[in-house]
Amino acid sequence: MVRNAPPWRLMNAAERRRYWWGHWRLFVPAGVTLALLFLMTAPLLVPVPVFPQLGLLAIFVWAMFQPGLMPPWAAFLIGIIADLLFAQPIGVNATLFAAAAAFVRVFEARYGHHAHGFDWGVASAVVIVFEALTAQLMALAGQPTPLQPLAWQAVTSIIAYPLVVWLCAVVQRRAFGAGFVR
Amino acid sequence: MDWTPAPRRSSAMRREQNLALVGAVVSGAVIATGLLLLLVARVNPEAGERLRGVALDIVTPVWSVVRAPFDGIGRALSWGGDYFAAVDRSRDLEQQLAAARAELNRAAADRLALAKLKRLQTVRDPGRRLIATARIVSATSGSVVRSAMIAAGRADGVVPGQPVIGADGLIGRVIEAGNHASRVLLLTDPASRIPVMVQRTGQAGLAVGSNRPALELRDRVGAEVPLRTGDRLVTSGDGGVFPPGIPVGTIVAGGVEPAAVRLAATPVGAAYVTIEAAWLPLPVEAAEPRLDAPVPIEAVRSGAKLPKASAPPATPLP
Repeated sequence: MVRNAPPWRLMNAAERRRYWWGHWRLFVPAGVTLALLFLMTAPLLVPVPVFPQLGLLAIFVWAMFQPGLMPPWAAFLIGIIADLLFAQPIGVNATLFAAAAAFVRVFEARYGHHAHGFDWGVASAVVIVFEALTAQLMALAGQPTPLQPLAWQAVTSIIAYPLVVWLCAVVQRRAFGAGFVR
Repeated sequence: MDWTPAPRRSSAMRREQNLALVGAVVSGAVIATGLLLLLVARVNPEAGERLRGVALDIVTPVWSVVRAPFDGIGRALSWGGDYFAAVDRSRDLEQQLAAARAELNRAAADRLALAKLKRLQTVRDPGRRLIATARIVSATSGSVVRSAMIAAGRADGVVPGQPVIGADGLIGRVIEAGNHASRVLLLTDPASRIPVMVQRTGQAGLAVGSNRPALELRDRVGAEVPLRTGDRLVTSGDGGVFPPGIPVGTIVAGGVEPAAVRLAATPVGAAYVTIEAAWLPLPVEAAEPRLDAPVPIEAVRSGAKLPKASAPPATPLP
C-alpha cells in the first residue's frame, strides 16, 4: 500500500504509475482465489467427482487473514465467476461465497483468533453447510442435484483445508508480512 | 426539560459503528442480489449465455496449452505398454477377428435384405453430418455439474444441442458455445437423459445420469423381460438429437432394477471427439399463428392492415 502519496498534480508520470502499481496487494486475495477456482477446472483424472471446493476454502481463509480485502461483495463477484466456470445457474456460488465471507467476518469479530485445529473445525462446518445449501439452491434454480457427490466433495474439501491454509499463509507472508490491511 | 442527553461517542467510535452498519447493509444487499439472480436463472435458464461463452473462450486455451506435455507423457507410456503387450494382444485380436468375420458374413446378407426392404417402403433416412472434430480440453470435476470443455466453438459451426461422439461411443451434448470453445454436458450429469435401446432385445429406455460413474437405465419398455449382464445399449434416435446406433454402455449386473450402465466411452483420455449436427433437423421457427377471428367491419372499411395468414376477409354487410 502506498500511503501518504503526494497530491496527484505534484506527481510526474513515473510516480503516478508507481502509485497505481503500488496497489497490487489489494488484489492478492481475490487473485489467489481465482487461481484456485481456475485450478478446479483442471482436466479430470478420475471419473468420480472428488475435487475439493478450493474456492470456498480460499474465501474462508482470506476472510480470516485479510478481512478488509475479502468483503462479501468481493466474494460475490468471485462467486459469479465460479458459476460461469462450473456451468451452474448464476447465483448459486455467488450467494454462498458472499454468505461465507459475511459469516467469517461476524465470527471473527465475536471470537477473535484461535488455534489451527479450531479453525479447521469451523471450516468443516462451513463446508458441510455450503454443500447442503448448494443442493437447496440448485433445486431453487430448477436443477435438482443428487446429494452423494456433494457429500464426497465435502469430505475432500475438509481434507484439503490445511493445504489451502498453507498456500494462503505463504502468499500472505510474502505479500503483507504479518500485517492486516483494513 | 428533564430529558437525558444522548451519551457522547468519540468520533472514531462513531466512524467504526457507521462503517460496520454500512458493511452489514452491503452484505445483506449482496446476498439478496444472489438469490434474485437464482430466481432469474430459474425463470430464464439461458440468461448470461454470452458471458458463459466468454468464460469458456478464456479458460479453454490455457488448459489446452497446459495439458500438452502431460498428453505427450501419456502417449509415450501407452506406446511403451503397446510394445510390451504386443504378442498377447495380437493373439487376442486374431480370435476376435475370426468371430467378427463370421458375424460380418451374416450381417452382409441382412444388410442386403434391409436395403431392399427400405427401397420397397421408400424409407427416407436422414444422414449424419459432421460439424467439427476437436479435443476434450478439460472437464469440471465439480460435484454439481458434469461437463467437459472442447476446443471448438461457434466459429466452427458448433451450437448448443449438437451431439458429441467419441471413438468408443457417445460422450454427451453441447450446452454452451463460445467462439472457439464449447461446453459438453456429459452423460453422467444429473440433467442428462439419453434415449437408448437394448441391442439384444430392442427395448427402448432412458439412460439417466446421476453424477456417479455409472448411468441408470430407466423407463424401459417391457420391464418383464429381464436384462442380462453385458447387454449393450445403443442410442435409439428418439428425440432426433442423437443418431441411432451409437454405443452408450453395457449393463453391469442383470436382474437389478434400475439397471446400472457402465459407459462405453469416458471423457477421461478421450483425446478427440466429433461434433455432429442434430440427427433430425430441428424445427427452425414456430409457425405464425393463424388468425381466424372475424375481422370487424370498421377495420375492413378503413383499410387496416390485415395479418397475412388470416382467413378470407369478412364480407361487408349489405
